[in-house]
Amino acid sequence: MLEVQNLNFSYTDIKPILKGVNLKVSTGGITVLIGPSGCGKTTLLRCMSLLEEPQSGEVLVDDESFRFPLQKNKPFTPPWPKLTAVFQQLFLWPHLTLRENILLPARKRCNGNVEDELDALVEAFDMGEFINNYPNEASLGQRQRVALARALILKPNYLLLDEITSALDVEQIAKILAYLKTLRGKNIGIFIITHLLGFARHTADQILFMDGGEIAESGGPDILKNPQTERLFRFLSVIAAAS
Amino acid sequence: MSVFDILANYHVAFLQGLGVTLQLCLVIWTSGILLGVLLGVTGANYPQSWGHFTRAMSFAFSAIPTLVVLFWLHYPAQAVFNVVIDPFYTASLTLSLVNIFGVGELVRQAVADFPSQYIIAGRVCGLKRRDLIARIQLPILFRQLLPGLMVQQVAMLHATLFASLISVEEIFRVSQRINSTIYRPIEIYTALALFFLAVCLPINLAAAYLKKRYTRDLSER
Repeated sequence: MLEVQNLNFSYTDIKPILKGVNLKVSTGGITVLIGPSGCGKTTLLRCMSLLEEPQSGEVLVDDESFRFPLQKNKPFTPPWPKLTAVFQQLFLWPHLTLRENILLPARKRCNGNVEDELDALVEAFDMGEFINNYPNEASLGQRQRVALARALILKPNYLLLDEITSALDVEQIAKILAYLKTLRGKNIGIFIITHLLGFARHTADQILFMDGGEIAESGGPDILKNPQTERLFRFLSVIAAAS
Repeated sequence: MSVFDILANYHVAFLQGLGVTLQLCLVIWTSGILLGVLLGVTGANYPQSWGHFTRAMSFAFSAIPTLVVLFWLHYPAQAVFNVVIDPFYTASLTLSLVNIFGVGELVRQAVADFPSQYIIAGRVCGLKRRDLIARIQLPILFRQLLPGLMVQQVAMLHATLFASLISVEEIFRVSQRINSTIYRPIEIYTALALFFLAVCLPINLAAAYLKKRYTRDLSER
């Protein structure tokens, strides 16, 4: 279980970004986080990835606890890549080919034949035509698939994804989401920030709606049909109007 | 007397001068790259202390003409300490300092401006610190720094001409001596230019090879 307890975070003392956030991501399940732009979704993901140091709160990764503020003399060793993340900006290494981008961490962290696992991912994500290109020679959609493959090959227990389908066409989104669905029930907890409400509705085990730095509503996919809070209702109305 | 006549008649003197120039370069390039990289990395890791120091010294050495520093370190220093210092050592020290702080500032800036997202991506993928440095940071920095470092080293080669003004018998001083004998400045300095071209050619070829081997156009298509 990946658990966040009473997490508070701000970049300055003036405006808090996260206000007492609590959530749980269980292995074998897909948790989807939705919310308006600027509500703190990405910051929450960074805190959950242990890349930011919140002012207070706790992140629990299975039996490991990371309590904030950190104690100065206590070693801080985040459980990467057991817990890993794919960011919206992807952060592929520009001097390596897409294949090398996937294989570099895999060779360092994984046992077994990573080449075979890469081949399986290349097929699953339809990457054969461009896998030997460099990141700048690939489209954003191609890079998104590679970034996801780079994380998946590490076989994380918890995979945090920030808007990773934003630049994909409908066909590619369907492929990626179908693949993620195949991971459901396996030993991996997936946490996705997305604006794809259709995906959330059909795939998520748990949906969290974030607004103003707090989880304003949570529940199963039903909350998208019958929102209990005015804030989620308004958000869904705006999305519906836009689409 | 043509350029080739001058080269034929004075090739021994020219080669001796070139030898001194290359010795100077060896000292300047080696110390500049080794200590400059060390200084730059330290400056980037300790921006408040070493970083400010590197920036200030780099600014000072780029603002004050090298010739002035060379004179300061040669004549007044000998007078103050009442010693005679071989001008080769003075020139080596001065030009090395210029190169160390020049390279140091190049490296400091590159390390300080290194995109942290590449490190973050490596960290969440579980790469250890040594792998992050060896496989991500160094290759990207090397590619970024290569052109600037090459330009700096060629500039230092040209700066060795100043050593002649404190009586170092390098190739420019040899050229001046020959000129004072036969007074053919155009031909003599053309011959000097040929020697500099000969030295710069392998540097440029090496730079081109390294650029082709290790750097790529990273702009998105």
